[in-house]
Amino acid sequence: MIELLQFSLCLLAFNCFALAKFNHYRDVFKTRPSQQQSQWFLISAWISILLSLLLCIVEHQGYGGLLFCGYMALSVLLLMIFYSFKAAWVKYMSAVNVILLVISGSYIAIY
Amino acid sequence: MKESFFRSMTWMHTWVGLLVCWLLYLVFFAGTISFFRDEVTLWNQPALHSLQAPQERIALQREQIIAGVDYLKATAPESGRWGIYLPTEREPQLNYAFEKPRPEGRRFGGWQDYYINPKTGESLQQPRETKGGNFFYRLHFDLHYIDVRTARWIVCFASLFMLVALISGVVIHKRIFKDMFSFRKNKGSRSWLDGHNVSSVLALPFHIMITYTGLITLIFMLFPYPAMTAYDDGIRGFFNDVTPTNVRTKSSDVPAPLTAIDNVLDQIYTNWPNADLTRFSIKDPNKASATITVRASTGTLVRDQTPTMLFNGVDGSLIAKSVDEYSSTEVFYDSLTALHTGRLANPLLRWLYFLCGVAGCIMIATGCIMWAKRIRERMKKDQKASFGLKLVEGLNLATLMGLPLATCAFFIANRLLPVGITQRADKEILAFFITWLAVALFSLFKRAKMQWYLLAWVNAVACVSVPLINALTTKGSIVSYLLNSQWALFSFDLVCLVCALLFVLQAKKLRTQLNSPAANTRSNRVNKNSLVEQKG
Repeated sequence: MIELLQFSLCLLAFNCFALAKFNHYRDVFKTRPSQQQSQWFLISAWISILLSLLLCIVEHQGYGGLLFCGYMALSVLLLMIFYSFKAAWVKYMSAVNVILLVISGSYIAIY
Repeated sequence: MKESFFRSMTWMHTWVGLLVCWLLYLVFFAGTISFFRDEVTLWNQPALHSLQAPQERIALQREQIIAGVDYLKATAPESGRWGIYLPTEREPQLNYAFEKPRPEGRRFGGWQDYYINPKTGESLQQPRETKGGNFFYRLHFDLHYIDVRTARWIVCFASLFMLVALISGVVIHKRIFKDMFSFRKNKGSRSWLDGHNVSSVLALPFHIMITYTGLITLIFMLFPYPAMTAYDDGIRGFFNDVTPTNVRTKSSDVPAPLTAIDNVLDQIYTNWPNADLTRFSIKDPNKASATITVRASTGTLVRDQTPTMLFNGVDGSLIAKSVDEYSSTEVFYDSLTALHTGRLANPLLRWLYFLCGVAGCIMIATGCIMWAKRIRERMKKDQKASFGLKLVEGLNLATLMGLPLATCAFFIANRLLPVGITQRADKEILAFFITWLAVALFSLFKRAKMQWYLLAWVNAVACVSVPLINALTTKGSIVSYLLNSQWALFSFDLVCLVCALLFVLQAKKLRTQLNSPAANTRSNRVNKNSLVEQKG
């Protein structure tokens, strides 16, 4: 479950990085992002990616660094596919991502 | 100044990449497959398919070693070496092996294996002779049919070129973060460039790590001079110094009884209470020079050197033990080697390594295709292609479409060659190279879109054939693997089917391009040029 949390955070981070960009935001929401929105996406992205890295390192030490690199590659690949071929699905993908994040986070917090 | 700097970096990136791209593709392709070396070997040995490592695997190791030594004492008392290979999660079989008599003038006689089901203790049918995943592992740095040392030098040079191409690629890619998620489809060269950029950027840390650590793993071959200066017996002296268990004893013919194995095992478990042992080997058993070497797994530690103990085989005393605390230099070298080999990876990380390896293959493939495509686009209407362009296009087709087909041929040969045939493993490898040679010859004569289209279909059929022939010639199939939770075998067949699907999509895309009306666009003009050339 911790691996799911680490990956969800990484995916969320890169999704926020993508949405902070004008063209990707427009592809998904059909409007321009405001300056403030872009900044919030960037801040969320950095927090999320650092949390993912932190969790990887705390849980697996050096091995976690390798996992984190793998998560980054998988996240960028998934997002590239969505943004290039199915931009309309990004909203649903983001929702699934956040749900997985909450479920895995809650599971770890409870157990 | 700035422009000339970017131009020179672009020039370097292009040429450094192009010169070795086909070799790099082979290295990446074989390296990516060898992340699943043990799983590929397992697939190649249907006799072992039904095995699963027992739950209490580590607890059983002591009994398995004692039983193994008893078996080898009874079966091969005269042999020069015994080996007990304990089951792991990836290699579920228990193997008691001994060295066969050495033929005249040879230093090693080869191993005779005796496989056992670790759950029931029953002996297993002898699996078919195959190199399996080890073939791809060796291919990715030893190549084949050429001297190993020469091959490693060639691969190292290619890796160095790759490292230069990666760094210069980062420098020239001005919109590296802006275009991180962008892939513009159906835009001709632009799409190829996007594919090249995305596959490079998404696994950039992996690409840099795997290339750099690849050079580091062979650094003592590339740069042996400090060790040669510091040690009287050169590089061997250096390795003996850093690896205390490397002690070499001179073989003796004086008979001497083997020490009690319990005594040795007690010492092992006192030193390593929770050890997950992988191998227990005895050199010169029943002789005065007998030594026992025991190796344990490193688990998920970022360490490549396996913990090892060396015992005297007659009195059971500990001769040497691998160090527990490495110096910082040793940690650096060893961890870089571990990062490259990926032996530490659990299934999740192994798949991530595989994904990054595939990204590397795509990066190299798109790079070499893009070069030829751009030259074609720049050509004037009636201009003929140069020899260099034809060569690059031919090598692209031969390598990019030939290697997957050759790999399928290797696996199909594994299933179709008679089990008892002599030198079976070599014949599987021969099937690989003959197929590749056939594609290369085909590419020599024609290399236009039609040939890509034909080879895409051939590859698709070959990829489907692998799980199909497996289902027809063995007791298992992709469905039974899924139902029995045999994930390694299921994944193998599934990857073949996914590859087949990708080749079908490629063929359909090429068919659309071949059928499209010849409008007077730049890209169509290029296609027409190539067709005219072929007809000519």
